[in-house]
Amino acid sequence: MLRVGALVPIAWATVLLFVPYALLLVQSFWRLDNGVLTPGFTLDNYRRLVGTSLYPRTILYSAETALWVTGAALILAYPLAYLLAFKVRRHRDLLYLAVIIPLWVSYVVRAYAWKIILGQQGILNGLLLSLGLIHEPLSVLLYSRWAVVVALTHIYTPFALMPIFAVLEAIPPSLREASQDLYADRWRTFLHVTLPLSLPGVLAGGTFAFVLSMGDFLAPQLLGGNDSALMVSNLVWSLFGVAYNWPLGAAVAVVMLGLTLALLALTGALERGGRSR
Amino acid sequence: MPDPLLRLVDLSKRFGDVAALDHISLDIAGGEFLTVLGASGSGKTTTLRLIAGFEPPTTGQILMDGADIAPLPPYRRDVNTVFQQYALFPHLTVRDNVGYGLRMRRVARPEIAQRVKDALALVQLGDLGARKPRQLSGGQQQRVALARALVNRPRLLLLDEPLGALDLKLRRAMQLELKHLQTRVGITFVYVTHDQEEALTMSDRIALMRNGRIEQLGTPDEIYHRPQTRYVADFIGDTNLLKGKVLASAGREATLQLGGAVVRAPLGVGGALAAGADAWLSVRPERLSVGPRTGTGTAAAGNEAGVGAGRNALEGVVADLVFVGAGTKVFVALADGTRVMVHRPADDPLAPGAPVTVVWPVEAGVLLRD
Repeated sequence: MLRVGALVPIAWATVLLFVPYALLLVQSFWRLDNGVLTPGFTLDNYRRLVGTSLYPRTILYSAETALWVTGAALILAYPLAYLLAFKVRRHRDLLYLAVIIPLWVSYVVRAYAWKIILGQQGILNGLLLSLGLIHEPLSVLLYSRWAVVVALTHIYTPFALMPIFAVLEAIPPSLREASQDLYADRWRTFLHVTLPLSLPGVLAGGTFAFVLSMGDFLAPQLLGGNDSALMVSNLVWSLFGVAYNWPLGAAVAVVMLGLTLALLALTGALERGGRSR
Repeated sequence: MPDPLLRLVDLSKRFGDVAALDHISLDIAGGEFLTVLGASGSGKTTTLRLIAGFEPPTTGQILMDGADIAPLPPYRRDVNTVFQQYALFPHLTVRDNVGYGLRMRRVARPEIAQRVKDALALVQLGDLGARKPRQLSGGQQQRVALARALVNRPRLLLLDEPLGALDLKLRRAMQLELKHLQTRVGITFVYVTHDQEEALTMSDRIALMRNGRIEQLGTPDEIYHRPQTRYVADFIGDTNLLKGKVLASAGREATLQLGGAVVRAPLGVGGALAAGADAWLSVRPERLSVGPRTGTGTAAAGNEAGVGAGRNALEGVVADLVFVGAGTKVFVALADGTRVMVHRPADDPLAPGAPVTVVWPVEAGVLLRD
């Protein structure tokens, strides 16, 4: 028997989550008749999605971009999480807060900040010019895939850091002492004890960074220039907003949702496997 | 002591304003089973962590075979530790846990396999090598922790309350097993515990710690029968601590006014006591006997008879009787209200309120300064 308390979150998820996704799924089987949205059941959208190289290529390109972001975020987050968990004693909460605070700054502001830094008249160009390293402003900094990777890395590193920090902090100090007691120096203790025990956090943090940046829409829009069209979210956006092809856009979105859920299921299984082994 | 394996020289450790360890010196012989006993906060675990190398000392030296190991990190010390909560690596199998130290020392693989097998056999876990620590019971985990340390054949094994997490019955069995194991492998054990019974059962010597200092160092027998301070007498086992006033101190004996009578006691390590000074007499409950008061003699008369026979006697009434299975604890209230506990076999019953005489041989008393 369901209690009333359980009904509220169920209703919430139904109205705000399942119904929209169900509508998306239903619309992905509709078709466009002379520019008019026509209900029905056709697999044409999915056939086109698979058959046109643009769509798989876009998904792969997005995944590749997201992989770069994930790698960069993990490389930045892990040492920082390690320092916070083991080396910093005083002001640790304050420093952790400093890592988290950017999450409270509007996403758009953070994306725009990179425009200011990377732009032709931007801070980075100004710095390079004043150092005499370049003689005219570089235009390649902004409006490229790398600008997107840099901005997304900045935005999603805290998401990668939080689970890693949580896992590291939960490792009993006695385990690292036991390792040192058994002749392992600091580096080998890290390699044989700390790192293996922190992998679930790395997996969780990496999944966050990957899923969030793969589905990101605004940073490519603001910083990606021509490359931005190759990110899958921007493709979905233009299918809905520009081409007015809602069924095809819905089909792409459904495929992305499926891929994301599959990825989450996979990493979830990996984490559980790691625990029960 | 000829050439101690380990010497702690003027060792201290301060955490901020707190002296966790306050200038202790201690020699530990090779092959010895030394127990560091104390209440929590007495400095016993700090002592262990300094020897293992997890904390640097504030002052002093840790000499192993004469060389100071205090500046060395833990991984360069020929010392292994059995941790309080075992600290087994959860991601490794039992076999890999036990072989960890050998792998880190780059011992050849076939030798590691053989030594791990032998170590697991030694602690009777031969067939559990493929398990993960969480699949083992507490007692089994404890054995793995022991095997993981012993497999390295260290000069010195440190054990930090290794039996603390086990239930009483298993703990008793493991106490004997550990002691036998230590004798068999011949490794020096430094064993930290707060359990005085455990210390008495297992140790060659006990260092009883209090407030970062060694209150008394000695064999279990010395610590139990010849405590040097009131704290030691009270910490180890049950005892009666009776306060009295010194009447005279001559030769190897003192007489004191105590519980409304005059009693005699051998002088302890402190030597003669000034007449009129306060002193404490410690007598173990099992050294006392209690019986119905005989005749109509006054306390003084009874006392004189006792003194004459090399025994002390005090008169009182039975206040409480507590049945403890193997015998009875009799609480006797003396004339001045002091309560004395006597262990006696459960034979002829005494009724509460009955007038009794408590008697003990003079040499059973231990005289302690105030």
